[in-house]
Amino acid sequence: MSLFTILISTIFVNNFVFARFLGICPFLGVSKKTDTAFGMGVAVTFVITLSSIITYFIQKGILDTLNLGYLQTIVFILVIATLVQFVEMVMKKTSPTLYNALGVYLPLITTNCVVLGVAILNIQEGYNLIQTIVNAIGASIGFTLALVLMAGIREQLELADVPKSLEGFPITLITSGLMAIAFLGFSGLV
Amino acid sequence: MNETLKLGLILLLITAISAFVLAVSNNATSAKIEEADRIANDEARKEVLPDVEKFEPLDEVKFKEINNSNEEVTEIYEGKDGSGEVKGYTLKTIIGGFGGDIEVITGISVEGQITGMKVLSHSETPGLGANADQPEFQERFKGITTDNELVIVKESPANENEVQAITSATITSNAVADGVNLAREIYNSQLSK
Amino acid sequence: MKLSETFRNGLIKENPIFVQLVGMCSTLAVTTSAKNGLAMGLAVTGVLVGSNLVISLIRNVIPDKIRIPSFIVVIATFVTLIEMLMKAYTPALYSALGLFIPLIVVNCLIFARAESFASKNKPIPAIVDGLGMGLGFTLALVILASIRELLGAGTLFDHQIMSASYQPALIAIMPPGAFIILGILIGIFNKVRMNNEEKKAAEETKSAVEA
Repeated sequence: MSLFTILISTIFVNNFVFARFLGICPFLGVSKKTDTAFGMGVAVTFVITLSSIITYFIQKGILDTLNLGYLQTIVFILVIATLVQFVEMVMKKTSPTLYNALGVYLPLITTNCVVLGVAILNIQEGYNLIQTIVNAIGASIGFTLALVLMAGIREQLELADVPKSLEGFPITLITSGLMAIAFLGFSGLV
Repeated sequence: MNETLKLGLILLLITAISAFVLAVSNNATSAKIEEADRIANDEARKEVLPDVEKFEPLDEVKFKEINNSNEEVTEIYEGKDGSGEVKGYTLKTIIGGFGGDIEVITGISVEGQITGMKVLSHSETPGLGANADQPEFQERFKGITTDNELVIVKESPANENEVQAITSATITSNAVADGVNLAREIYNSQLSK
Repeated sequence: MKLSETFRNGLIKENPIFVQLVGMCSTLAVTTSAKNGLAMGLAVTGVLVGSNLVISLIRNVIPDKIRIPSFIVVIATFVTLIEMLMKAYTPALYSALGLFIPLIVVNCLIFARAESFASKNKPIPAIVDGLGMGLGFTLALVILASIRELLGAGTLFDHQIMSASYQPALIAIMPPGAFIILGILIGIFNKVRMNNEEKKAAEETKSAVEA
C-alpha cells in the first residue's frame, strides 16, 4: 500500500471515529467547544505518533525476538500510560504555555482507545516504520477532524429545541450517526 | 529515595506475578491455539478441494519462486490421494477489495477444474460485500474450468466462464474473482504439467 | 449496601451503557449481530469480575501512589487471559471481535469500577459489583445488537425472523446505524426514567397531602 493511500484511508475511508468506533469516549466528552476539541486533537496526535514509534521498536526489538507476542497488550498499555505521564512532565518543565493549553487533556488520553488501537493495528497490518508513522498521523488527523466537526455542530445544537429525553448524549449520538452516513460516501475511495 | 525504591519494588512484584501468570497460561493454551488454527485451515482446504486424502505444502523452492513474482499468493498446498498421487492444489491469495484485503482460497483439480472457492477473511460492507463469504456466492465458482479467465457479470451468466456478481457489490465480486483468476493463472503456468 | 442491591445497581439503576455512558467504543463496534454482542459482553464481564476480585484482595497492599499502574497491570493481565482462552476455544468468535478484545483494557467501565468500587470494598461485594456491572453491560449490548441485527439482516442469533420478503435496512448494521439506534435507545431509557421520577414525585406529594 502506498503511503498516500494509507493516509487517505485512515483519515476518511476508515475514519477512526465514524468507521472503526475508536476513541468514542473523548469524542463524546470533549466535543462541546471547537477550541477544546482542537486542543485535544493536537495532544492526541502527539501521543499517538510517539507511542506508535515506540511500540513499533518494542514489538520488533523485544517481543518478536524473544517470542513474547502474548505480552503485547500489557506492554503496550504500560508504555502508553508511562509515555503520557512523561510527556506531561516534560511539557510542564519546558513549555508552560503548551502545558496550560494541552495539559488538561493528557490524563484522558491513557484510556483513549485510539492510541492503543493504532499501536496494535500497525503491528497487525505488518507496517514498516515509515508506514507506521504515516498511519499514526492519519489516524490522529481523522480523529481531530471528527472531533472538530462534531464540536462545530454541537455549538449550534445548544440553541436547538431538542426533546428533553434526547438532550445531551442521545442527540449527540444521533448527530454522529448522520455524520457517519456522510463519511460512508468515502468508502471505496481507495 | 527509600520510598521510591519501595514503590518500584512493589510495582515490579505485581508485573512479575502477572507475567508469570501469563507465561503459564500461554504455555497451556498455545498448543491448543495452534491446533485450532491448523484445523480451521485444514477444513478450509478440504472444503475447496474435496476427494483427497491429505494435504502437503508445495515444495518450498518452487513456492518461493512463485511467491517472488506474485506476492499476492501466500500459500499453496498439494492435495494427494491415498497412494500419494497429486489430485489438485489449493492456493491462498490476498487481493484488495472494497473495504480492505480479501483473503481467498481456491481449489483446483489436476483436470483443470475449479473445485471450490472460499473467502477466508475480509472487511467488506456488512450486508453487501460481506455476503462474499456466503455459500450461495461461493458455489457459483464451482465446476468452472481453468481454460478461460473468469468474468463477473451482473445478470445470470450466459457463458461458461461467467460468474454472477453479489447484488450491489460488484467491486467485492471482482476482487474475489481476481483472487480466483490469479490462482488459475498460477495453476496454468506453474503447476499443471 | 446489600449484595442484591449492589447487583441490581449495575444491572439497571447504574447501567454502564444506558446511564453511565461508558465503554462506548466496543458497544458501537461489535453490536452488528446479537451473537457478537453477547460474546463481547461476557468477555468484559469475565475481565471485570476477575479484576474486581484481585484489586479488592490487594487493595490494602498497594500504596496509593502506584494505584493506577497496578490496576492497569491487573486489568491487562485478565484481558490477555481472556484473549488466549478465546483464541484457543472459540477462534471464530475471536476473529469476529478482533481488535476489540485487546481494547477491553481501555474500556473505561473496568477502570472506573476498579477505582470507585473494588479498591474500597471487600472481595465478595467486589465480585457481585463486577457481575452486576458486567451483566448490565452485556444486557445493553444484546439489546442494541438484537435491534441492529433484526433490522439490518432480518435475523436474530443467526435465525431468520423476518419473512423472506423483508428487505433488510442495511444502514442498521453499518456504522451510522450503531450511533443512531444507540442514541434513540438512550433517549427511550431517559424518557422512562423521567416518567418514573415524575410518578414518584406525584405520589409523594399525594401521600403528603393525605397525611
